[in-house]
Amino acid sequence: MISEERSAATGLRPAGDRGKRLPTPLRRALLGAALLLYTLLFAEGFIRVFDPQPLMPRYITGTAWGVRGNIPNADYWHHTSEVDVRYRINGQGLRADHDYPQRKPPGTCRIGIFGDSFLFGLEVDIRDSFADRLEKRLKSQGFAVEDLNFSVGGFGTAEMLQTYEQFGRNFDLDVVIFSWDTSDLEDNVRANLYRLKSGNLERANGEYLPAVGVQDKLMQYRLYRFIADHSELYTFVRDRISLFLKMRIKSERKQSLSIADAGEAEGGPPSPDNDIDELQHRNKIDLSAAILTHADEVVTSSGADFYVIDIPARLSRTEFASPLGVLPDTVRSRLKIISPLSALSKAARPDLKLYYEKGQGHFTPIGVGILVDEAVKSIVSSPRLASCAEIAHRAAAAHESIGHAILSASAPGFPRVP
Amino acid sequence: MLFNSGIFALFLTVFLPLYFFSRRHVTARNLLLIASSYVFYGWWDPRFLILVAISTSVDYLAALGAAGKEVRAIDQLKSAAFLVLVTLASLGCATSKDWWLAAPVAIGMAFAALAIIAIRRSAERVRRKYWLLLSLCTNLGILAFFKYFNFFVGSATALLEALGVHAQAPSLAIILPVGLSFYTFQAISRTIDSYQRRYEPQYSIINYAAFHAFFPQLVAGPIERAGHLMPQFETVRPFDRQLFTTGALLFAWGLYQKIVIADNVSPLANAVFNAPANQTAGATLAAVLAFAVQIYCDFCGYSNMARGLARCLGFDLMINFNQPYFARSPSEFWQRWHISLSRWLRDYLYITLGGNRGGQLKMYRNLMITMLLGGLWHGASWTFVAWGAFHGAIQVVYRALRMDSLLERSRFLTLRGFAIQTSSWFITMCLVCIGWILFRSRTFDQAVTVLGNLFATSGYSADQFATLFAYSAPLAAVEIYQRASGRLEVLTAGPFLVRYTAAVALMLTLVAFSAPGGQEFIYFDF
Repeated sequence: MISEERSAATGLRPAGDRGKRLPTPLRRALLGAALLLYTLLFAEGFIRVFDPQPLMPRYITGTAWGVRGNIPNADYWHHTSEVDVRYRINGQGLRADHDYPQRKPPGTCRIGIFGDSFLFGLEVDIRDSFADRLEKRLKSQGFAVEDLNFSVGGFGTAEMLQTYEQFGRNFDLDVVIFSWDTSDLEDNVRANLYRLKSGNLERANGEYLPAVGVQDKLMQYRLYRFIADHSELYTFVRDRISLFLKMRIKSERKQSLSIADAGEAEGGPPSPDNDIDELQHRNKIDLSAAILTHADEVVTSSGADFYVIDIPARLSRTEFASPLGVLPDTVRSRLKIISPLSALSKAARPDLKLYYEKGQGHFTPIGVGILVDEAVKSIVSSPRLASCAEIAHRAAAAHESIGHAILSASAPGFPRVP
Repeated sequence: MLFNSGIFALFLTVFLPLYFFSRRHVTARNLLLIASSYVFYGWWDPRFLILVAISTSVDYLAALGAAGKEVRAIDQLKSAAFLVLVTLASLGCATSKDWWLAAPVAIGMAFAALAIIAIRRSAERVRRKYWLLLSLCTNLGILAFFKYFNFFVGSATALLEALGVHAQAPSLAIILPVGLSFYTFQAISRTIDSYQRRYEPQYSIINYAAFHAFFPQLVAGPIERAGHLMPQFETVRPFDRQLFTTGALLFAWGLYQKIVIADNVSPLANAVFNAPANQTAGATLAAVLAFAVQIYCDFCGYSNMARGLARCLGFDLMINFNQPYFARSPSEFWQRWHISLSRWLRDYLYITLGGNRGGQLKMYRNLMITMLLGGLWHGASWTFVAWGAFHGAIQVVYRALRMDSLLERSRFLTLRGFAIQTSSWFITMCLVCIGWILFRSRTFDQAVTVLGNLFATSGYSADQFATLFAYSAPLAAVEIYQRASGRLEVLTAGPFLVRYTAAVALMLTLVAFSAPGGQEFIYFDF
């Protein structure tokens, strides 16, 4: 028990002072509820003051093709200290303000963009998103194009491929763009949609829907949506749990690799940590390279042109690192790669933000502009797109001649065309 | 196993229910504590459990003998059985390559058996002294081999080289066992206390082994005295909600000191001390101050966690830090910093050497020797010895100038007193920080470079101190409040809502601001 002397030193109350009046169960419950409410409100205030969180709720659900997708018809906002952005998702789960018919309009080429949050356009308005600006740039250069943005935040290459194969290819795409960034190495392993067996890519799981079931259930409640949209405490907790789970999955994979490695060594000592990291890293690269190669085969076999756009990681305002370097030379030489690395480095200045710094670090409109410039340089040479350019030129020429005719027709002495 | 790791959280979730289930039965509880403590320690490297067991087995018998009690055959059997059991268990957990360790253990046991036979045959009046000697030789022998072998051999070789004698020195790849200096000193103190009749050892090896390996304080102290902690292992410990709550809060506060403050300011210190050349004066000053904050929060944080955890289990551990950065003189600093070690050095070294007796010069000599060895205790390096010597020297100067009595006479509330106390505090902090440069530097060259950088006049900017200020300001505010209120545990007093809010804020801070990646405690290396 606590002595009088110690209680004076530490401030602990002696045992005799305690438990004089026990609250009734109802009072206890009310007190508990009030305390809980107070705790949550205090914690919300504390986080807002000392560790402000960007409010970036995820409107993600499961799709019929077994991977995550944007919630159709969702309309939501992201608020960070740098931007306030509204997102509108169409009825097909694409970031657009209208639905697309599966058959493309005659004379139009379609570009399908499959990426993660960078190509989805997180932290930028739809007018500044990669898809929208690419479409406008190509149109301004005489191409009759329509960009369809199939990107979903958090996607890895495996999910992009599955979305293309089971959904995107129905839209009669002429050009397909996949994004490639550093997180894809880990994402492709974690998704476990594909695996390598004796060097060959094979399907593993049919679906990858992490926490989607829980999210779908929660999103049915208005209160949850309100909290997800407005609570920085919720965002803080969600991000910490997500980080913890990712680390745990990573460490479990490391463990399993270590066991497998020890098994292969026929009872020898397990590899040291560095070797396991190295082995794990090599496996990740091999898997991602195989998925990209397979995506190239699938897309080109359906008659579309395939491009991979490299999303450099931001090291500082003026330094960037490309994740392309990790891919084997054979894969890099095979793929048509769009890399904005050197353009970003050239444009970088200490007083210029090419990436946002307070939210989740996506491109600013200036950064997107550089990405679009580099993409246009490569895509204009696409054979499939060239046909749309011809059609567009012919259409433009026809339009021009009709215009002339109309002008001539409207000239004095001729009857006015109704 | 680190207190700030996920595996420790898992360990606690298994341990705590078992502990509270067994806590009313002293033997069952102590057996659980032994097993848990050995798992806790062995998680790092099971082979070194053998050293803990050797120290336990020898000191169990030595304390009995040193106290003049009969060391019966059954006690020797219990001691040997304990060592054999732990050796087999630890080698069972290690790889098959490590079974050779059984041989030195067996040889050691044979030597111990011979030593015990010799002691039993010796005259009654010297027998107690021999038991004490056995404890000292065993503990200091382990310490000397594992901690200082390469240091002494390297230093001797360097000395011979300087004298022009070429010597080929053997260098062994010795791993320093975690917490070795702490548990050996604790074991020695119990035997010395038994010898000096300040403590009466009991015959239960289970109780003693639980005390010796008590996991909250096994690897980094506090270095407890048997008279204070051992009786707690012989009784059922109290448990109530308030003890548990205040213990948990103390643990959380220690965790905050470690993972929020120490780990976040450490990069500032590391950046400069790892490459001191071409650093600006501002960056160097920020690094030195950052290290002062880091080492305090790292070690005081661990001590608070240990005390908090022990309190949750119903045990009371001594206070190891009492606001050392409020000290106004070096001797006051040592009365507030790592109190358990300071008292150990005072009681078993300084006083044994003669203490204040025998005139001024002898007192200064004793002080210097104590501080030199105190420095060496911290690590096998000449920079630690120099750090100890520096602290010894400034204490000698302070004593020669009778600064402590001047401080005692001056009253804080008068203008003169305020000026004296404030300037004394400032000077002491400057001296302590200069000491930390020696402590943190790996070589004397590095220390000289850092000191040289400090005396440059340019290169200051507010940014260099921003991170340090952000993390240390809340700590300073809490410590000032603690000092003003005279209470070391602020979260245990005041209105419920204030305490509750502070506790919630502490938890949120732990989650929001903890440094990425669990870093080891600095004092684990000592």
